[in-house]
Amino acid sequence: MMKGDRKYIVLFLLPAAAFLSIFLYYPFFKSMYLSFFRTKGFTTKTWVGFENYVRMFSDDLLGAATLNTLELMAYVIIFQVGIALMLAIFVDNITWGKGFFRMVFFFPVVISGTAIALLFVLFYNFQFGLLNTLLQNMGFDKVNWLSENMALKAVAIPTVWHYVGFYFVLFLTAMSKIPSDFYEAAKLEGITGIKKTFLLTIPLIMSDIKVVITLAITGTLKVFEFIFVLTRGQNDTEVLGTYMYKKALVDQNFGYGSTIAIYIVVFGVLLSLLANRLLKRDEISY
Amino acid sequence: MKKTSLTIVSLILMMSMLLAACGNNGGSNNTNGGASSTPSETTEPSKAPEAVNLRVFSTFGGTDAAREAFQKAIDDFTAANPHIKVENDVMSANDDGFRTKVNTDMTSGNEPDLLFYFVGADAAEIINSGKVVALDEELAADAEWKNGFAPAALDFTKHTDGKTYAIPLTGFFEGLMVNKKIFADNGIELPTDWDKFKAAVSALKAKGIIPLSGPFDQSHYLIEHFVLAAAGAEGQAKALKDGVDPNWEKGLAAMKEVYDLGAFPEDAATIDLGMAANYYSQGLAGMILEGSWAIGGFSDDVKANTTVLPFPAIPGGAGTGKDVVGGFGTGFYMSKAAYDDAAKKDATLALLKHLTSPESIKSIATANGGTPAAAGVQPEGLPQAVLDGFAMVSEATSVNSPIDSKVTPETFNTIRANIQPVVTGKKTPAEALEEAKAIETAAK
Repeated sequence: MMKGDRKYIVLFLLPAAAFLSIFLYYPFFKSMYLSFFRTKGFTTKTWVGFENYVRMFSDDLLGAATLNTLELMAYVIIFQVGIALMLAIFVDNITWGKGFFRMVFFFPVVISGTAIALLFVLFYNFQFGLLNTLLQNMGFDKVNWLSENMALKAVAIPTVWHYVGFYFVLFLTAMSKIPSDFYEAAKLEGITGIKKTFLLTIPLIMSDIKVVITLAITGTLKVFEFIFVLTRGQNDTEVLGTYMYKKALVDQNFGYGSTIAIYIVVFGVLLSLLANRLLKRDEISY
Repeated sequence: MKKTSLTIVSLILMMSMLLAACGNNGGSNNTNGGASSTPSETTEPSKAPEAVNLRVFSTFGGTDAAREAFQKAIDDFTAANPHIKVENDVMSANDDGFRTKVNTDMTSGNEPDLLFYFVGADAAEIINSGKVVALDEELAADAEWKNGFAPAALDFTKHTDGKTYAIPLTGFFEGLMVNKKIFADNGIELPTDWDKFKAAVSALKAKGIIPLSGPFDQSHYLIEHFVLAAAGAEGQAKALKDGVDPNWEKGLAAMKEVYDLGAFPEDAATIDLGMAANYYSQGLAGMILEGSWAIGGFSDDVKANTTVLPFPAIPGGAGTGKDVVGGFGTGFYMSKAAYDDAAKKDATLALLKHLTSPESIKSIATANGGTPAAAGVQPEGLPQAVLDGFAMVSEATSVNSPIDSKVTPETFNTIRANIQPVVTGKKTPAEALEEAKAIETAAK
């Protein structure tokens, strides 16, 4: 790099920094500002200091939303990442049809979450949903799939399904980067099949697995449409995103809604740090 | 109370006159009602009028029954006024985001010229911040326009400061919609009092029919009717101002009572209003609490078999069994920006007068079954259920605007969020209402 290039580098970096400042940091700090007010509609603000934060710490509904978000996160990490990894391993080991399977598994990602959620309304509906119609045809009683003890798991299914394909493609790409001579050497040593997968493939893509888990964690914090369309937050399915939406926009209490938004950001950052800490491990470079 | 009584009497008289007119087959063929206010052809101006673009924000879009009638009213106006273009910006009022869009537009300098929106608490912010103008002077200056309205309709849409900001178009009633065929086929008496209502719930449940189709998350109509049936008009109107009325608690307790009898759908917690109406429309439910606008969306068979009854009084409370939720809960507001804009003011007022003329009101009321705000207007071809609803209102001892126009959104939503805990016994009605009261107090 020549000495005079630095000013050009800075010049090119400024637009991106400005973009981020306007659309990311400004709204964040505005939320922080609003979290110290009680609002009435869009124009009336009353300073209330830390009252919103005090309310937040004693808000049972926020506690429940947090736990539901964590439960959903567990399902997403176990099943979304797990299924994606499994599918990637299968597809990586076949000799033909890779393109076909990539397309098939990736397809749900490009369908909007709302459309998938509406589809599952028709699956789960108690009176005439697909699942209950099948059950009745087989002579069984109808089941309320969105009942209090099942609703969050029922909502987790389309949530998981929606993004399995995305992580599948990430994993498949990661696997394709492993040099083939590693596998040839392993074959000479007699390491094949499942043993190869666990001793070689998975360790070598561990850094990608960490990235995917982090994406899954932050993605779960943004889950909204599946809850909103399928259950509206009832039957103990309220998550942080839907709760924040209700407080800010349905209740029109922007002060408290902003406070919850700050909580979500802090919670998300802490979770990401925790995940990185737990996943920290010597990475193999090649 | 005197003013309220006069309002109610006026409304009842208007309804009675309307019913008499509807029932009179030998009536006059004159369908113009009051004096015509169709914009007359202006004489050729010496100079072409300046082009004007107006934006109207309304809920007459998507699947709304009056969508076509409303668009036609706009098209008629633009045909008579070629220099005026009208953008019809629409969004469904069932969407919680509707209020947000209105508030966002009104407070960020993106006001529509005419806004069709709720009256009452929802509009307080845009009125208090001066975004819309009082139209009392314009009404006083145009006797033909003003006298075209039923006085009760204008009274209903007055703001708490006594001024008229919203010009009504059609009103509504809410009530207990009953599928008479289901009741007759199963030998069940119509729910004309509380004991008959409970008996109907139990009998329908035993037959595998959903007794009362209603959602818990969007429990607006459940709350409205159970509270009114227990608290009566006065108790309902006080909202939570003087603390929690014990009769409100009785209303929520009654909801739990019928829940325990199996009144609600198995999946009541997670369905929305649309799905609840769908159950009733498909004949899966014997009853539903809904508004007059819902009747048009029922299947033809169910519509033909539907009647509308007032929700029965809850024993021990102050309800009369003839208290009705209804009136005129929406209207057209004119933005101050349009009023202050010399180029737009006259065009906007002309459009407003056209949209709220007896002719426009009639075509919209015919389409959506709403109560015409115009005096003497007779919608044609209405389903019997709508006529039954009009009869219910005309016989009502009180006509009440909904609770959610009397408390803050967060207060009402707190009650909504507590319906499922209350009916399942996780919370007492007193706890739920105290929680809402605390929100209401904090919001003032």
